[in-house]
Amino acid sequence: MKDPYQVLGVSRSATDEEIKKAYRELAKKYHPDKYADNPLADVASEKMKEINEAYRMVTEERKRGGASRSSSYGSYNDSYSSGYSSASSGSASYGGRSRYEEIRVMINSGNFGAAETALTSIPSDERNAEWYYLMGVVYYQKGFLSDAYNYFQTACRMDPDNAEYQSMYRRIQQQRTGNQGGYNSQGSAPACDCCDICTCLLCTDCLCNSCR
Amino acid sequence: MFGYLRPVREELKVREYELYKSVYCGLCRRLGRDYGIITRFTLSYDCTVLAMLAASLREENSCVKRGRCRFNPMKKCMFCATDGEAMHLAGGVSVIMAYYKLSDTITDSGFFKRLAARLLRVFLSGGFRRARKAYPDIEAAAGKMIESQQLAERKGSGIDESADPTAKMLSFLCERLSDDEMTRRVLSRFGYCLGRWIYLIDAADDLEKDIKHRCFNPFISVTEADSAETAVFCNETLNMTASQLIMAYELLQPVSYREILDNIVYHGLSFQQKHCIFEKKRKKGRKMKDRKKKDYYTFLSRGDEDI
Repeated sequence: MKDPYQVLGVSRSATDEEIKKAYRELAKKYHPDKYADNPLADVASEKMKEINEAYRMVTEERKRGGASRSSSYGSYNDSYSSGYSSASSGSASYGGRSRYEEIRVMINSGNFGAAETALTSIPSDERNAEWYYLMGVVYYQKGFLSDAYNYFQTACRMDPDNAEYQSMYRRIQQQRTGNQGGYNSQGSAPACDCCDICTCLLCTDCLCNSCR
Repeated sequence: MFGYLRPVREELKVREYELYKSVYCGLCRRLGRDYGIITRFTLSYDCTVLAMLAASLREENSCVKRGRCRFNPMKKCMFCATDGEAMHLAGGVSVIMAYYKLSDTITDSGFFKRLAARLLRVFLSGGFRRARKAYPDIEAAAGKMIESQQLAERKGSGIDESADPTAKMLSFLCERLSDDEMTRRVLSRFGYCLGRWIYLIDAADDLEKDIKHRCFNPFISVTEADSAETAVFCNETLNMTASQLIMAYELLQPVSYREILDNIVYHGLSFQQKHCIFEKKRKKGRKMKDRKKKDYYTFLSRGDEDI
Protein backbone atom coordinates (compact mmCIF):
# COMPACT_ATOMS: atom_id res chain seq x y z
CA MET A 1 0.00 0.00 0.00
CA LYS A 2 1.34 3.38 -0.97
CA ASP A 3 1.65 6.26 1.43
CA PRO A 4 -1.58 8.27 1.00
CA TYR A 5 0.28 11.55 1.34
CA GLN A 6 2.54 10.55 -1.48
CA VAL A 7 -0.42 9.64 -3.64
CA LEU A 8 -1.89 13.09 -3.11
CA GLY A 9 1.51 14.68 -3.64
CA VAL A 10 1.53 16.64 -0.38
CA SER A 11 3.78 16.60 2.64
CA ARG A 12 2.67 15.31 6.03
CA SER A 13 2.72 18.79 7.46
CA ALA A 14 0.29 20.12 4.85
CA THR A 15 -2.82 21.87 6.12
CA ASP A 16 -6.28 20.54 5.48
CA GLU A 17 -6.85 23.23 2.90
CA GLU A 18 -3.75 22.23 0.98
CA ILE A 19 -4.76 18.62 1.01
CA LYS A 20 -8.21 19.44 -0.19
CA LYS A 21 -6.80 21.54 -2.96
CA ALA A 22 -4.36 18.85 -4.04
CA TYR A 23 -7.14 16.30 -4.01
CA ARG A 24 -9.42 18.48 -6.08
CA GLU A 25 -6.73 19.08 -8.63
CA LEU A 26 -5.94 15.40 -8.96
CA ALA A 27 -9.60 14.51 -9.17
CA LYS A 28 -10.01 16.97 -11.99
CA LYS A 29 -6.99 15.55 -13.74
CA TYR A 30 -8.19 11.96 -13.67
CA HIS A 31 -11.89 12.56 -13.81
CA PRO A 32 -13.71 9.74 -15.60
CA ASP A 33 -15.61 12.18 -17.79
CA LYS A 34 -12.39 13.37 -19.30
CA TYR A 35 -11.33 9.82 -20.14
CA ALA A 36 -14.67 8.67 -21.47
CA ASP A 37 -14.20 6.54 -24.59
CA ASN A 38 -10.45 6.72 -24.18
CA PRO A 39 -8.74 3.32 -24.35
CA LEU A 40 -7.08 4.18 -21.06
CA ALA A 41 -10.36 4.85 -19.23
CA ASP A 42 -9.85 1.87 -16.93
CA VAL A 43 -6.34 2.96 -15.98
CA ALA A 44 -7.65 6.42 -15.17
CA SER A 45 -10.46 5.04 -13.03
CA GLU A 46 -7.97 2.88 -11.12
CA LYS A 47 -5.98 6.00 -10.48
CA MET A 48 -9.09 7.82 -9.36
CA LYS A 49 -9.90 5.05 -6.91
CA GLU A 50 -6.41 5.27 -5.50
CA ILE A 51 -6.74 9.01 -5.01
CA ASN A 52 -10.16 8.71 -3.39
CA GLU A 53 -8.84 6.05 -1.06
CA ALA A 54 -5.80 8.14 -0.14
CA TYR A 55 -7.95 11.19 0.53
CA ARG A 56 -10.32 9.18 2.69
CA MET A 57 -7.43 7.75 4.68
CA VAL A 58 -5.82 11.12 5.22
CA THR A 59 -9.01 12.82 6.35
CA GLU A 60 -9.92 9.96 8.66
CA GLU A 61 -6.47 9.91 10.14
CA ARG A 62 -6.63 13.61 10.80
CA LYS A 63 -10.08 13.36 12.35
CA ARG A 64 -8.86 10.72 14.73
CA GLY A 65 -5.92 12.99 15.49
CA GLY A 66 -8.37 15.15 17.44
CA ALA A 67 -7.86 18.49 15.78
CA SER A 68 -11.00 20.22 14.70
CA ARG A 69 -11.95 19.29 11.20
CA SER A 70 -14.97 20.59 9.50
CA SER A 71 -13.99 19.32 6.12
CA SER A 72 -16.42 16.72 5.01
CA TYR A 73 -15.73 17.25 1.41
CA GLY A 74 -17.49 14.43 -0.32
CA SER A 75 -15.20 12.45 -2.51
CA TYR A 76 -16.10 11.88 -6.09
CA ASN A 77 -17.72 8.52 -6.08
CA ASP A 78 -17.19 5.94 -8.69
CA SER A 79 -20.67 5.86 -10.03
CA TYR A 80 -19.09 6.04 -13.42
CA SER A 81 -19.60 2.95 -15.45
CA SER A 82 -17.70 2.59 -18.64
CA GLY A 83 -20.55 0.79 -20.30
CA TYR A 84 -22.62 2.37 -22.97
CA SER A 85 -26.22 2.72 -22.01
CA SER A 86 -28.22 1.99 -25.05
CA ALA A 87 -30.99 4.27 -23.91
CA SER A 88 -30.84 6.32 -27.04
CA SER A 89 -33.98 7.13 -28.92
CA GLY A 90 -35.52 4.33 -30.91
CA SER A 91 -34.95 5.96 -34.22
CA ALA A 92 -33.30 2.95 -35.76
CA SER A 93 -35.18 0.20 -37.52
CA TYR A 94 -35.84 -2.98 -35.57
CA GLY A 95 -33.33 -5.04 -37.45
CA GLY A 96 -30.66 -2.38 -37.19
CA ARG A 97 -31.33 -1.80 -33.54
CA SER A 98 -30.10 -5.14 -32.28
CA ARG A 99 -27.18 -4.98 -34.69
CA TYR A 100 -25.93 -1.75 -33.12
CA GLU A 101 -26.44 -3.17 -29.67
CA GLU A 102 -24.20 -6.06 -30.59
CA ILE A 103 -21.58 -3.63 -31.80
CA ARG A 104 -21.81 -1.69 -28.55
CA VAL A 105 -21.17 -4.91 -26.67
CA MET A 106 -18.08 -5.50 -28.83
CA ILE A 107 -16.81 -1.99 -28.11
CA ASN A 108 -17.43 -2.37 -24.38
CA SER A 109 -15.43 -5.55 -24.27
CA GLY A 110 -12.57 -3.86 -26.12
CA ASN A 111 -12.96 -5.79 -29.32
CA PHE A 112 -12.53 -2.84 -31.69
CA GLY A 113 -11.35 -4.77 -34.70
CA ALA A 114 -14.53 -6.84 -34.76
CA ALA A 115 -16.65 -3.75 -34.16
CA GLU A 116 -15.04 -2.02 -37.11
CA THR A 117 -15.60 -4.93 -39.48
CA ALA A 118 -19.19 -5.24 -38.30
CA LEU A 119 -19.75 -1.53 -38.90
CA THR A 120 -18.19 -1.47 -42.33
CA SER A 121 -20.30 -4.44 -43.37
CA ILE A 122 -23.45 -2.36 -42.92
CA PRO A 123 -24.43 -1.01 -46.35
CA SER A 124 -24.14 2.73 -46.73
CA ASP A 125 -27.84 3.39 -47.26
CA GLU A 126 -28.66 1.86 -43.87
CA ARG A 127 -26.22 3.96 -41.95
CA ASN A 128 -27.83 6.27 -39.44
CA ALA A 129 -26.55 8.66 -36.78
CA GLU A 130 -25.75 5.83 -34.43
CA TRP A 131 -23.60 4.19 -37.09
CA TYR A 132 -21.56 7.37 -37.43
CA TYR A 133 -21.28 7.73 -33.69
CA LEU A 134 -20.07 4.17 -33.14
CA MET A 135 -17.66 4.43 -36.03
CA GLY A 136 -16.35 7.59 -34.41
CA VAL A 137 -15.84 5.76 -31.13
CA VAL A 138 -13.93 2.97 -32.84
CA TYR A 139 -11.69 5.45 -34.68
CA TYR A 140 -11.18 7.50 -31.55
CA GLN A 141 -9.90 4.44 -29.74
CA LYS A 142 -7.68 3.55 -32.62
CA GLY A 143 -6.11 7.00 -32.57
CA PHE A 144 -7.53 8.08 -35.95
CA LEU A 145 -8.60 11.33 -34.38
CA SER A 146 -9.43 13.39 -37.44
CA ASP A 147 -11.72 10.75 -38.92
CA ALA A 148 -13.31 10.26 -35.51
CA TYR A 149 -14.03 13.97 -35.36
CA ASN A 150 -15.71 13.88 -38.76
CA TYR A 151 -17.85 10.89 -37.78
CA PHE A 152 -19.00 12.55 -34.57
CA GLN A 153 -19.80 15.69 -36.49
CA THR A 154 -21.94 13.76 -38.94
CA ALA A 155 -23.68 11.90 -36.12
CA CYS A 156 -24.57 15.18 -34.46
CA ARG A 157 -25.84 16.67 -37.68
CA MET A 158 -28.08 13.68 -38.36
CA ASP A 159 -29.47 13.51 -34.85
CA PRO A 160 -28.99 16.88 -33.17
CA ASP A 161 -31.11 16.02 -30.12
CA ASN A 162 -29.10 13.06 -28.93
CA ALA A 163 -27.30 13.93 -25.71
CA GLU A 164 -24.73 11.14 -26.03
CA TYR A 165 -23.48 12.30 -29.42
CA GLN A 166 -23.57 15.92 -28.41
CA SER A 167 -21.47 15.45 -25.29
CA MET A 168 -18.84 13.51 -27.20
CA TYR A 169 -18.75 16.12 -29.92
CA ARG A 170 -18.43 18.95 -27.41
CA ARG A 171 -15.61 17.16 -25.66
CA ILE A 172 -13.67 16.81 -28.88
CA GLN A 173 -14.22 20.42 -29.77
CA GLN A 174 -12.82 21.37 -26.41
CA GLN A 175 -9.72 19.41 -27.27
CA ARG A 176 -9.42 21.04 -30.64
CA THR A 177 -9.46 24.54 -29.26
CA GLY A 178 -6.30 23.72 -27.34
CA ASN A 179 -7.68 24.21 -23.83
CA GLN A 180 -6.42 20.81 -22.77
CA GLY A 181 -3.05 20.88 -24.45
CA GLY A 182 -1.59 22.26 -27.59
CA TYR A 183 -1.81 25.87 -28.60
CA ASN A 184 -4.92 27.98 -28.38
CA SER A 185 -4.73 30.39 -31.26
CA GLN A 186 -8.05 32.02 -30.55
CA GLY A 187 -7.35 32.85 -26.95
CA SER A 188 -6.05 36.30 -27.72
CA ALA A 189 -7.68 39.67 -27.45
CA PRO A 190 -8.76 41.34 -30.71
CA ALA A 191 -5.83 42.95 -32.44
CA CYS A 192 -5.33 46.69 -32.31
CA ASP A 193 -2.59 47.77 -34.64
CA CYS A 194 -1.62 51.04 -36.30
CA CYS A 195 -4.28 50.69 -38.96
CA ASP A 196 -7.02 50.32 -36.37
CA ILE A 197 -5.87 53.40 -34.51
CA CYS A 198 -5.68 55.34 -37.75
CA THR A 199 -9.16 54.28 -38.78
CA CYS A 200 -10.50 55.18 -35.37
CA LEU A 201 -8.97 58.64 -35.56
CA LEU A 202 -10.30 59.18 -39.06
CA CYS A 203 -13.79 58.17 -38.03
CA THR A 204 -13.69 60.40 -34.99
CA ASP A 205 -12.52 63.21 -37.15
CA CYS A 206 -15.42 62.71 -39.51
CA LEU A 207 -17.83 62.79 -36.58
CA CYS A 208 -16.22 65.99 -35.34
CA ASN A 209 -16.78 67.56 -38.70
CA SER A 210 -20.43 66.62 -38.68
CA CYS A 211 -20.90 68.08 -35.23
CA ARG A 212 -19.59 71.45 -36.13
CA MET B 1 10.91 14.92 -38.95
CA PHE B 2 13.42 15.60 -36.23
CA GLY B 3 13.80 18.23 -33.59
CA TYR B 4 10.24 19.10 -32.71
CA LEU B 5 10.30 17.67 -29.21
CA ARG B 6 12.05 20.28 -27.17
CA PRO B 7 11.55 21.88 -23.82
CA VAL B 8 10.87 25.58 -23.65
CA ARG B 9 14.12 26.70 -22.15
CA GLU B 10 12.76 29.82 -20.50
CA GLU B 11 10.34 27.76 -18.46
CA LEU B 12 13.01 25.44 -17.04
CA LYS B 13 14.93 26.00 -13.87
CA VAL B 14 18.65 26.43 -14.40
CA ARG B 15 19.48 23.09 -12.85
CA GLU B 16 16.85 21.38 -15.00
CA TYR B 17 18.26 23.00 -18.07
CA GLU B 18 21.76 21.89 -17.11
CA LEU B 19 20.49 18.38 -16.59
CA TYR B 20 18.78 18.41 -19.97
CA LYS B 21 21.96 19.57 -21.64
CA SER B 22 23.94 16.90 -19.83
CA VAL B 23 21.63 14.21 -21.15
CA TYR B 24 22.08 15.62 -24.62
CA CYS B 25 25.85 15.59 -24.32
CA GLY B 26 25.83 12.22 -22.58
CA LEU B 27 23.83 10.72 -25.40
CA CYS B 28 26.28 12.14 -27.92
CA ARG B 29 29.17 10.49 -26.08
CA ARG B 30 27.33 7.22 -25.75
CA LEU B 31 26.66 7.25 -29.48
CA GLY B 32 30.35 7.67 -30.12
CA ARG B 33 31.28 4.92 -27.73
CA ASP B 34 28.65 2.34 -28.64
CA TYR B 35 28.07 2.89 -32.33
CA GLY B 36 31.14 4.67 -33.71
CA ILE B 37 32.20 8.26 -33.89
CA ILE B 38 30.37 9.09 -37.10
CA THR B 39 27.01 8.23 -35.55
CA ARG B 40 27.42 11.17 -33.21
CA PHE B 41 26.08 13.31 -36.02
CA THR B 42 22.72 11.57 -35.80
CA LEU B 43 22.10 13.08 -32.39
CA SER B 44 18.72 14.74 -32.14
CA TYR B 45 16.48 16.35 -29.55
CA ASP B 46 13.86 13.67 -30.01
CA CYS B 47 16.22 10.90 -29.07
CA THR B 48 17.27 12.90 -26.03
CA VAL B 49 13.65 12.88 -24.99
CA LEU B 50 13.47 9.16 -25.58
CA ALA B 51 16.57 8.67 -23.44
CA MET B 52 15.02 10.67 -20.64
CA LEU B 53 11.73 8.84 -20.86
CA ALA B 54 13.46 5.47 -20.85
CA ALA B 55 15.70 6.41 -17.93
CA SER B 56 12.74 7.78 -16.07
CA LEU B 57 10.68 4.63 -16.43
CA ARG B 58 13.57 2.38 -15.54
CA GLU B 59 14.45 4.62 -12.64
CA GLU B 60 18.01 4.85 -13.80
CA ASN B 61 20.03 7.45 -12.01
CA SER B 62 22.26 9.81 -13.83
CA CYS B 63 25.74 10.70 -12.77
CA VAL B 64 26.84 14.02 -14.16
CA LYS B 65 30.50 14.58 -14.95
CA ARG B 66 32.45 17.40 -16.50
CA GLY B 67 34.46 17.02 -19.65
CA ARG B 68 35.48 18.62 -22.87
CA CYS B 69 33.35 18.40 -25.95
CA ARG B 70 35.10 16.51 -28.72
CA PHE B 71 33.70 18.76 -31.41
CA ASN B 72 34.26 22.00 -29.61
CA PRO B 73 37.33 21.48 -27.41
CA MET B 74 37.19 25.01 -26.08
CA LYS B 75 33.90 24.24 -24.40
CA LYS B 76 33.70 22.34 -21.18
CA CYS B 77 30.41 20.64 -20.76
CA MET B 78 28.53 18.58 -18.28
CA PHE B 79 27.54 15.20 -19.48
CA CYS B 80 25.54 12.35 -18.17
CA ALA B 81 27.80 9.36 -17.69
CA THR B 82 25.81 6.20 -17.22
CA ASP B 83 26.17 2.70 -18.45
CA GLY B 84 22.44 2.40 -18.37
CA GLU B 85 20.34 0.71 -20.96
CA ALA B 86 18.32 3.88 -21.62
CA MET B 87 21.11 5.75 -23.39
CA HIS B 88 22.14 2.70 -25.36
CA LEU B 89 18.59 2.27 -26.57
CA ALA B 90 18.14 5.93 -27.46
CA GLY B 91 21.42 5.87 -29.36
CA GLY B 92 20.42 2.78 -31.27
CA VAL B 93 17.09 4.33 -32.20
CA SER B 94 18.85 7.47 -33.31
CA VAL B 95 21.17 5.55 -35.64
CA ILE B 96 18.42 3.35 -37.05
CA MET B 97 16.11 6.27 -37.73
CA ALA B 98 18.85 8.32 -39.34
CA TYR B 99 19.78 5.40 -41.57
CA TYR B 100 16.21 4.88 -42.72
CA LYS B 101 15.73 8.58 -43.23
CA LEU B 102 18.70 8.52 -45.61
CA SER B 103 17.29 5.49 -47.40
CA ASP B 104 14.04 7.38 -47.77
CA THR B 105 15.88 10.34 -49.27
CA ILE B 106 17.59 7.98 -51.71
CA THR B 107 14.28 6.67 -53.02
CA ASP B 108 12.53 9.96 -53.54
CA SER B 109 14.89 12.86 -54.17
CA GLY B 110 16.79 14.50 -56.98
CA PHE B 111 20.14 13.32 -58.30
CA PHE B 112 22.51 15.36 -56.13
CA LYS B 113 20.60 14.84 -52.92
CA ARG B 114 20.51 11.16 -53.69
CA LEU B 115 24.24 11.01 -54.20
CA ALA B 116 24.92 12.80 -50.93
CA ALA B 117 22.53 10.55 -49.06
CA ARG B 118 24.18 7.44 -50.50
CA LEU B 119 27.57 8.68 -49.38
CA LEU B 120 26.36 9.46 -45.88
CA ARG B 121 24.64 6.13 -45.64
CA VAL B 122 27.87 4.33 -46.38
CA PHE B 123 29.50 6.14 -43.47
CA LEU B 124 26.62 5.25 -41.21
CA SER B 125 26.40 1.60 -42.18
CA GLY B 126 28.87 0.38 -39.53
CA GLY B 127 26.91 1.98 -36.71
CA PHE B 128 23.70 0.78 -38.25
CA ARG B 129 24.89 -2.82 -38.22
CA ARG B 130 25.74 -2.54 -34.55
CA ALA B 131 22.38 -1.01 -33.74
CA ARG B 132 20.59 -3.66 -35.75
CA LYS B 133 22.38 -6.36 -33.87
CA ALA B 134 21.44 -4.84 -30.53
CA TYR B 135 17.81 -4.07 -31.40
CA PRO B 136 16.62 -6.28 -34.26
CA ASP B 137 12.98 -5.67 -33.34
CA ILE B 138 13.30 -1.88 -33.59
CA GLU B 139 15.08 -2.19 -36.91
CA ALA B 140 12.29 -4.38 -38.24
CA ALA B 141 9.64 -1.96 -37.02
CA ALA B 142 11.43 0.99 -38.61
CA GLY B 143 11.67 -0.87 -41.90
CA LYS B 144 7.99 -1.64 -41.80
CA MET B 145 7.20 1.96 -40.97
CA ILE B 146 9.07 3.34 -43.97
CA GLU B 147 7.38 0.82 -46.22
CA SER B 148 3.86 1.62 -45.10
CA GLN B 149 4.67 5.32 -45.15
CA GLN B 150 5.63 5.14 -48.79
CA LEU B 151 2.52 3.15 -49.54
CA ALA B 152 0.31 5.69 -47.77
CA GLU B 153 1.92 8.55 -49.64
CA ARG B 154 1.53 6.86 -52.98
CA LYS B 155 -2.12 6.21 -52.27
CA GLY B 156 -2.55 9.84 -51.26
CA SER B 157 -4.18 8.96 -47.96
CA GLY B 158 -5.86 11.28 -45.54
CA ILE B 159 -4.49 12.72 -42.34
CA ASP B 160 -5.05 9.74 -40.08
CA GLU B 161 -3.77 7.08 -42.39
CA SER B 162 -0.62 8.89 -43.38
CA ALA B 163 0.23 9.64 -39.75
CA ASP B 164 -0.41 6.04 -38.76
CA PRO B 165 2.99 4.49 -39.64
CA THR B 166 5.03 7.00 -37.64
CA ALA B 167 2.54 6.80 -34.79
CA LYS B 168 2.71 3.01 -34.73
CA MET B 169 6.49 3.10 -34.75
CA LEU B 170 6.66 5.45 -31.77
CA SER B 171 3.99 3.43 -30.04
CA PHE B 172 6.12 0.33 -30.43
CA LEU B 173 9.21 2.14 -29.22
CA CYS B 174 7.55 3.50 -26.11
CA GLU B 175 5.74 0.30 -25.32
CA ARG B 176 8.92 -1.68 -25.05
CA LEU B 177 10.27 0.66 -22.37
CA SER B 178 8.29 -1.06 -19.65
CA ASP B 179 7.45 -4.58 -18.55
CA ASP B 180 4.38 -3.77 -16.55
CA GLU B 181 1.20 -4.58 -18.48
CA MET B 182 -0.73 -1.47 -17.44
CA THR B 183 2.19 0.88 -18.05
CA ARG B 184 2.73 -0.70 -21.43
CA ARG B 185 -0.80 0.12 -22.47
CA VAL B 186 -0.43 3.71 -21.35
CA LEU B 187 2.92 3.98 -23.10
CA SER B 188 1.50 2.51 -26.25
CA ARG B 189 -1.19 5.18 -26.42
CA PHE B 190 1.27 7.87 -25.42
CA GLY B 191 3.68 6.81 -28.14
CA TYR B 192 0.94 6.63 -30.72
CA CYS B 193 -0.17 10.18 -30.03
CA LEU B 194 3.41 11.38 -29.84
CA GLY B 195 4.27 9.88 -33.22
CA ARG B 196 1.11 11.27 -34.70
CA TRP B 197 1.89 14.69 -33.32
CA ILE B 198 5.44 14.62 -34.66
CA TYR B 199 4.31 13.52 -38.10
CA LEU B 200 1.56 16.11 -38.28
CA ILE B 201 3.64 19.02 -37.08
CA ASP B 202 6.27 18.10 -39.62
CA ALA B 203 3.57 18.05 -42.29
CA ALA B 204 2.15 21.39 -41.17
CA ASP B 205 5.62 22.87 -41.11
CA ASP B 206 6.41 21.69 -44.64
CA LEU B 207 3.01 22.53 -46.08
CA GLU B 208 4.03 25.61 -48.04
CA LYS B 209 7.12 23.92 -49.42
CA ASP B 210 5.18 20.82 -50.41
CA ILE B 211 2.53 22.84 -52.20
CA LYS B 212 5.23 24.62 -54.16
CA HIS B 213 7.08 21.45 -55.12
CA ARG B 214 3.91 19.39 -55.52
CA CYS B 215 5.01 16.83 -52.95
CA PHE B 216 2.76 14.71 -50.83
CA ASN B 217 1.32 16.34 -47.73
CA PRO B 218 -1.72 15.13 -45.79
CA PHE B 219 -2.91 18.69 -45.23
CA ILE B 220 -2.98 19.56 -48.93
CA SER B 221 -6.49 18.17 -49.34
CA VAL B 222 -7.85 20.75 -46.93
CA THR B 223 -5.89 23.67 -48.19
CA GLU B 224 -8.21 25.04 -50.86
CA ALA B 225 -9.27 27.56 -48.28
CA ASP B 226 -6.98 30.49 -47.58
CA SER B 227 -3.84 29.91 -45.60
CA ALA B 228 -5.07 31.46 -42.35
CA GLU B 229 -7.91 28.98 -42.25
CA THR B 230 -5.58 26.12 -43.08
CA ALA B 231 -3.29 27.16 -40.25
CA VAL B 232 -6.18 27.09 -37.81
CA PHE B 233 -7.24 23.69 -39.10
CA CYS B 234 -3.75 22.23 -38.74
CA ASN B 235 -3.51 23.69 -35.29
CA GLU B 236 -6.84 22.18 -34.26
CA THR B 237 -5.82 18.77 -35.51
CA LEU B 238 -2.59 19.02 -33.56
CA ASN B 239 -4.39 20.27 -30.46
CA MET B 240 -6.59 17.23 -30.45
CA THR B 241 -3.58 14.96 -30.71
CA ALA B 242 -1.76 16.88 -28.01
CA SER B 243 -4.65 16.65 -25.58
CA GLN B 244 -4.86 12.89 -26.11
CA LEU B 245 -1.13 12.71 -25.57
CA ILE B 246 -1.38 14.65 -22.32
CA MET B 247 -4.16 12.42 -21.08
CA ALA B 248 -1.94 9.39 -21.57
CA TYR B 249 1.07 11.18 -20.14
CA GLU B 250 -0.76 12.02 -16.94
CA LEU B 251 -1.26 8.33 -16.29
CA LEU B 252 2.46 7.70 -16.48
CA GLN B 253 4.53 8.27 -13.42
CA PRO B 254 7.91 9.44 -14.61
CA VAL B 255 10.34 9.38 -11.73
CA SER B 256 13.49 11.14 -12.78
CA TYR B 257 13.53 13.98 -15.29
CA ARG B 258 9.94 14.65 -14.43
CA GLU B 259 10.16 18.45 -14.63
CA ILE B 260 11.82 18.37 -18.02
CA LEU B 261 9.33 15.90 -19.46
CA ASP B 262 6.46 17.94 -18.02
CA ASN B 263 7.92 21.02 -19.63
CA ILE B 264 8.12 19.34 -23.02
CA VAL B 265 4.60 18.00 -22.88
CA TYR B 266 2.86 21.03 -21.40
CA HIS B 267 4.86 23.88 -22.89
CA GLY B 268 7.11 22.50 -25.61
CA LEU B 269 4.37 21.09 -27.79
CA SER B 270 2.27 24.22 -27.79
CA PHE B 271 5.29 26.42 -28.34
CA GLN B 272 6.33 24.37 -31.36
CA GLN B 273 2.81 24.50 -32.72
CA LYS B 274 2.70 28.24 -32.46
CA HIS B 275 6.19 28.61 -33.86
CA CYS B 276 5.77 26.28 -36.83
CA ILE B 277 2.22 27.08 -37.83
CA PHE B 278 1.70 30.73 -37.07
CA GLU B 279 5.05 32.47 -36.79
CA LYS B 280 7.60 30.97 -39.12
CA LYS B 281 6.05 31.92 -42.43
CA ARG B 282 5.77 35.59 -41.79
CA LYS B 283 9.21 36.06 -40.38
CA LYS B 284 11.51 34.45 -42.86
CA GLY B 285 13.80 37.46 -43.12
CA ARG B 286 14.78 37.67 -39.52
CA LYS B 287 17.72 35.90 -38.02
CA MET B 288 17.10 32.57 -36.41
CA LYS B 289 18.28 33.55 -32.96
CA ASP B 290 16.28 36.74 -32.63
CA ARG B 291 13.28 35.00 -34.00
CA LYS B 292 13.31 32.27 -31.41
CA LYS B 293 13.55 34.74 -28.58
CA LYS B 294 10.89 37.03 -29.91
CA ASP B 295 8.64 34.07 -30.56
CA TYR B 296 8.92 33.01 -27.00
CA TYR B 297 7.90 36.37 -25.64
CA THR B 298 4.96 36.64 -27.95
CA PHE B 299 4.15 33.10 -26.90
CA LEU B 300 4.10 34.20 -23.28
CA SER B 301 1.69 36.99 -24.01
CA ARG B 302 -0.40 34.47 -25.98
CA GLY B 303 0.23 36.55 -29.06
CA ASP B 304 -2.26 39.30 -28.40
CA GLU B 305 -0.25 41.79 -30.32
CA ASP B 306 0.25 39.98 -33.57
CA ILE B 307 -2.32 37.38 -34.45
